[in-house]
Amino acid sequence: MGISATGVVDHSALKVNQTGIVATVLVAFIGSAFYRPLLVLIPLLAVVLLVGTFAPQLALFKQFYFKVLKPRGIVKPRPVQDRPEPHNFAQGMGGVVLAIASVFLLPLPVVGLALALLVAVLAFVNVAFGFCLGCQIYYQLGRTGLIKAASPTRSSGTTGPF
Amino acid sequence: MSSQFWALAAVGAVVLAAAGLELVRSRLARARALGVAVAPAADPYILYFTGENCSVCRTHQEPALAKLAGVRIDKVDAIAERELADRFHVYTLPTTVVMSPQGRSLHVNYGYAPANKLERQLADARGAGLRASATA
Repeated sequence: MGISATGVVDHSALKVNQTGIVATVLVAFIGSAFYRPLLVLIPLLAVVLLVGTFAPQLALFKQFYFKVLKPRGIVKPRPVQDRPEPHNFAQGMGGVVLAIASVFLLPLPVVGLALALLVAVLAFVNVAFGFCLGCQIYYQLGRTGLIKAASPTRSSGTTGPF
Repeated sequence: MSSQFWALAAVGAVVLAAAGLELVRSRLARARALGVAVAPAADPYILYFTGENCSVCRTHQEPALAKLAGVRIDKVDAIAERELADRFHVYTLPTTVVMSPQGRSLHVNYGYAPANKLERQLADARGAGLRASATA
């Protein structure tokens, strides 16, 4: 999570990732009302997000974008001069919250489902409005010195707090 | 099914609370930002706070500002000019501030402001300028 040079981040990959999160949580949330084993999608999504955070080449939704959607022209690339760290941090945070949600799914399903739904809501807000709460937390932690955050000067430009 | 219902209710409550807090925060920020004085000018003008990688600034706000013919737009990098951004409580990009000719902020728009909204605010600022010059 150290300071790195400004790179180019394909924001379409981020959008596909966030859409994948929203879709998976919604399938788990609605589907589990009729077929409880679908709840397994939540811990699986947690694993996907956490693995993707530390090994971007294994990020399932992003790879789906890079290997399938982008080459076939289904989703057009949108390269933006940006830093990937805040987005990775946000994804990792989503993974952690989903992992916590997974722990609660069996003993306290309301808490587990609520946490998973909260991740989906935040992913949706990011897709729809470009506001990334995880990125905001990343900068706040960087400002307090808890992490070595990259300067927000070159970070994602969003409609939300910078 | 009841788990889903209560989870939905809990998340709904959290989202509503967050939206309410954000509304209060932005209203407070707007109230504090109004009336802040900067340099006077001959006509109303716009302070346009932006950032290097604010994509909405480029895709939406700048085309809207380009429609305002003959209006002075002072582009401000919100990060580089942190002090000025703080005076207007800029935590959102883009932010546009319509300034009166006397250099006082009359309208603050956090987030994208369409051209017609800015036109209305500029008309109001021109009126305020005329009233101020009449009373002077």
